[in-house]
Amino acid sequence: MSTVESGIPGLDELLQSEAGYDLGGIPQNTSTLVYGPPKVGKSIFSYQFANHGLNLEEPCLYITADEGMKQLQQNMIDFGWYLQNAMEKELLYVIDSISSLSGAPIETTNTYTPSKINDPTDLMVKVGIGTRFVFKKSNEFRSVFDSLTTPFAFNPEPMVIRFLKTYIRRLQEAGSTLVITYTEGVADENTEKILKSVVDNVIMLDGSYLTFRSSEGLMGTAEYQITNQGLVLGEGEIL
Amino acid sequence: MIVRIASGISGFDELTSSEDNLALKLGGFPENSATLIYGPPEVGKSTFCYQFTYQGLTQDEPCLYLTTDHGIQDIYDTMKGIGLNLDDYLENEMLYVVDAVSSDMEVEESDIYQRSSVHNPTDMLVKVSRVARSISQKSPRLRGVVDSVTTILESNNEMLIVRVLKTYILRIKEAGGTVIITYIEGSADSRTETLIKSMVDNIIKLDGEKIIIEAMKGMGRKEDAYRTTDEGIVILHDEQ
Repeated sequence: MSTVESGIPGLDELLQSEAGYDLGGIPQNTSTLVYGPPKVGKSIFSYQFANHGLNLEEPCLYITADEGMKQLQQNMIDFGWYLQNAMEKELLYVIDSISSLSGAPIETTNTYTPSKINDPTDLMVKVGIGTRFVFKKSNEFRSVFDSLTTPFAFNPEPMVIRFLKTYIRRLQEAGSTLVITYTEGVADENTEKILKSVVDNVIMLDGSYLTFRSSEGLMGTAEYQITNQGLVLGEGEIL
Repeated sequence: MIVRIASGISGFDELTSSEDNLALKLGGFPENSATLIYGPPEVGKSTFCYQFTYQGLTQDEPCLYLTTDHGIQDIYDTMKGIGLNLDDYLENEMLYVVDAVSSDMEVEESDIYQRSSVHNPTDMLVKVSRVARSISQKSPRLRGVVDSVTTILESNNEMLIVRVLKTYILRIKEAGGTVIITYIEGSADSRTETLIKSMVDNIIKLDGEKIIIEAMKGMGRKEDAYRTTDEGIVILHDEQ
């Protein structure tokens, strides 16, 4: 099975130790839910995954739903990761579904478009536009949805789930490898079960340990720390 | 890379500084971020806000203060009691108050003082947003305080308040602001509490004896003892 490099130091090595993963990394063209309590590094995981791909010239569709574009860029700059170059090369397409609430002046460009947090239909239209844009560059592209937490606060839960199912299907058909983040405990228990069942892989972050589980039942776990290089894994093991 | 601003709480900047990281050597709050201050009642959350506000005022950062439990006169007196005199800053129009207690009917509304009500979250949001916009036109920085979101949650649908709070944080950050929000632990549904924690950048718990920095941009968990004195909250720097 081919894989994409996660960009998280230690994670690819952890997954490589299992026979069958020849390159080490996240299985290509799958969807991964990254979840856990608040402030454990889910967004940072997303930044690393996107940034690493961009450094390898793999295009990325990035949907930011918790923080506006300005804040997203600032958060990444805090780690020394700059998006400007990727945007100039048209490797990155950002859909910002939250800035319209902030009162900031918003200008659509060829690599950036706003959407609305309480309008999944509009978001899906923008996802279509963004997908075509990055697909033109390469059909092996990454996509990030960070995060489902704010959509759950602004929409009925079944609507978010319906959106998510369509989103995952469309992007997988286009060839993408997906990362989706979610703060554990903000949706109903049943909704959480559905969430975990509509993706191929789950990664749980609890503040101390990262645990990876693939659809084939592969499980690996390792201690991690948030450093000024982002998440860094220690020695891990396959369970 | 993370810029920090002085907190105004004695010992806090030392607690949050990092000797091995030059950028974080001056501790304090990450600029342009949102911080949740939570814990049981009566542990010093409001006092923390007063000191944070005053520190900003002394360095030319206007403050937008949304108060739900203490009226303006009350705040003025309490701050004076811990040596923080607001006279100059009220006169210079540096401190902007949106008063959702609505008890001080004798204070007249003005550019820097507006009344609202905890029962009307839309009105609070509109007033706060308007003031934030006008401050951002004359100052690149500001501090925002919400003390406390618990009182607002008690009077409204919690999900509505989560959405209002999210919007508030986005708008203040857009205006260049650094925000602190207080909340009494356990006073809302656990889902609401998780959502609030997910919306802020930093989380600080005060439990009456210890201040615990549960999450903060650029650093790991830290804690220390504190005491509330006649000069406000003082962090003690215990020998660990």
